[in-house]
Amino acid sequence: MASISLRHLRKAYGSTEVIHNLSIDIRDGEFVALVGPSGCGKSTLLRMVAGLEPITAGEIRLGDRLINDVAPRDRNIAMVFQNYALYPHMTVAQNLGFSLKLQGLAKAEIERRVQAVAETLGLSAVLDRTPRRLSGGQRQRVAMGRAIVRQPEAFLFDEPLSNLDAKLRVQMRTEIKALHQRLGTTTLYVTHDQVEAMTMADRIVVLKDGVVEQSGVPLELYDRPHNAFVAGFIGSPAMNFFRGRVQRHGAPAVLTDDGLRLPLHRLPEAADGHEVLYGVRPEHFELQEGGTLEARVVVVEPTGAETLIAAGLGRHQVVAAFRERVDAHPGTALKLAPRAEHVHLFDAASGQRLN
Amino acid sequence: MNATTDTLRLPQRGSAGEHDVPALRRPGARPLGWLRRHGRAALAVVLLLVLMFPFLWLVQIAFRPAEGAFDDSLLFTPTLEAFRALLQGNFARSFANSLVVSSLSTVLSLAIGVPAAYALTRWRFRARGRVALWILITRMAPPIAFTIPFFLAYRWIGLLDTVWGLALVYLTFNLAVVIWLMQGFFEAVPAALEEAAWIDGCGVWSAFWRVTLPLAAPGVAATAVLCFIFSWNDFFYALILTRTHAVTAPVAIVNFLQYEGWEWTKIAAGGTLVMLPVVAFTLLVRKYLVRGLTAGGVKD
Repeated sequence: MASISLRHLRKAYGSTEVIHNLSIDIRDGEFVALVGPSGCGKSTLLRMVAGLEPITAGEIRLGDRLINDVAPRDRNIAMVFQNYALYPHMTVAQNLGFSLKLQGLAKAEIERRVQAVAETLGLSAVLDRTPRRLSGGQRQRVAMGRAIVRQPEAFLFDEPLSNLDAKLRVQMRTEIKALHQRLGTTTLYVTHDQVEAMTMADRIVVLKDGVVEQSGVPLELYDRPHNAFVAGFIGSPAMNFFRGRVQRHGAPAVLTDDGLRLPLHRLPEAADGHEVLYGVRPEHFELQEGGTLEARVVVVEPTGAETLIAAGLGRHQVVAAFRERVDAHPGTALKLAPRAEHVHLFDAASGQRLN
Repeated sequence: MNATTDTLRLPQRGSAGEHDVPALRRPGARPLGWLRRHGRAALAVVLLLVLMFPFLWLVQIAFRPAEGAFDDSLLFTPTLEAFRALLQGNFARSFANSLVVSSLSTVLSLAIGVPAAYALTRWRFRARGRVALWILITRMAPPIAFTIPFFLAYRWIGLLDTVWGLALVYLTFNLAVVIWLMQGFFEAVPAALEEAAWIDGCGVWSAFWRVTLPLAAPGVAATAVLCFIFSWNDFFYALILTRTHAVTAPVAIVNFLQYEGWEWTKIAAGGTLVMLPVVAFTLLVRKYLVRGLTAGGVKD
């Protein structure tokens, strides 16, 4: 096991730079999720760590070793691909033992390790099958088993759950996290699904256009996002944003162009009239009988555990989430009030956090 | 309404739903029905017979006695005297030459062409497109344009009338085909499999040998068959570049017409023997041939 250190990493394809001076430190044994929208460079970054993509500038260290120019096979890392990349012409047992065979281990030792990993992952019954005859979940486990059996210094996951159906995805999330808790191997996990990142990672790094937007523990990113992008990316359903101007006199509030008066908990560090983005998470709305904000219900989505209500508030579309059952129907009016102490304020121009 | 039967219904007064006029049938409706059901199969059989007729005719001449080569009788007592006479002469040697030359050129073409195709598929270098096109262009030139240069060069080097010489000529033509075909098969193998192999501990060559090549095996089989057939069937270069030692089977048959008179049964026997290896080879690998030429490889 080892730490992974990325220092001032740059990646350019010709004149197009996709990774800009990026530095991330992953501690030994840590599970770090790399999230971001499509095209943000997260997969490219992972491939650079794996050695599948050359580096334009910067350093990658595995423990103390500088591995910039080290071939993938000598880096002692294992990777789980998005499409699993299982060898179609080999059985599950052969897939699992392939790397061990290349290392020159004795046949008995290979078989012992393969059996052990197969048992851990519930693959003992399918060792003689080829990948074509496996289900999606089984293939995913074989891909993981192939990585585990090598006992590498670090695991790299490239969106491994994106090809699975929703139910299996939830199940595999738990399994991967349990595996990490058991093995304690340093893990770098790339995903576009922030729910995966939130539930699995010790730390999340949010990437956008090749730049780190924020890095921290999941709840820190959720409770105190540094900018509007992170605020909107983390959390499902996404945060609601209102564009308006700060009003410092009287009770501090933000006034929107369509006449909404959104309350603030305390005076923000912004001048009167400053243009801001007022962010409220869906679960931070409450129903207020005498409230001033009247929303017209558009869609009601009961998930069982909570009720999601999409409503029109002024010219804005908002989503509110309530734990309790709400009596609302499309077309009815709801008096919503944001909980001022949970509001997030961002500069409208730069997107940076103000409160 | 059923197209083959016309039911004439006259307007009824009183009784509802009953027709008391018997159904009329068009003349010739019955054979038409049979044709509709079995027509496609019948047509296929007819086409097959038409296409196979020259071969079947040739093969049956080979088994006839020399005097009755062109008899009209469908039934006759088959005899092997033509084959016996053939093998007593130099034909066996020509046949062996054909086998050696074709096998040699196929093996060489694959040994050189397959790695070349792999490099062209995976290595993105700047002149890649131009190199691929240049390789393809070499196949577009008419072979006849190179006969004199080859003849003169071989005479100077001393490769005239040698098995190696002929194999090398076939190599120059087969190589482009091998590279062109195998590129397609290698493109069908996902690069992610090779990347997984690199991470698992393979080098570039090792990943190619252990992962890519086994998956492209149907393609290799199909390409091998095509190379073999091209080399085996060649008459022109074999005629120009051989004299006595390296004469191949197609040329040997023509020699029967000139030097040994018009022994039709021996010519037919020779033709049958020349057809055999190609037919046998193709039948053996037809499963791979279809798979290789249509699917083109692997679905991950």
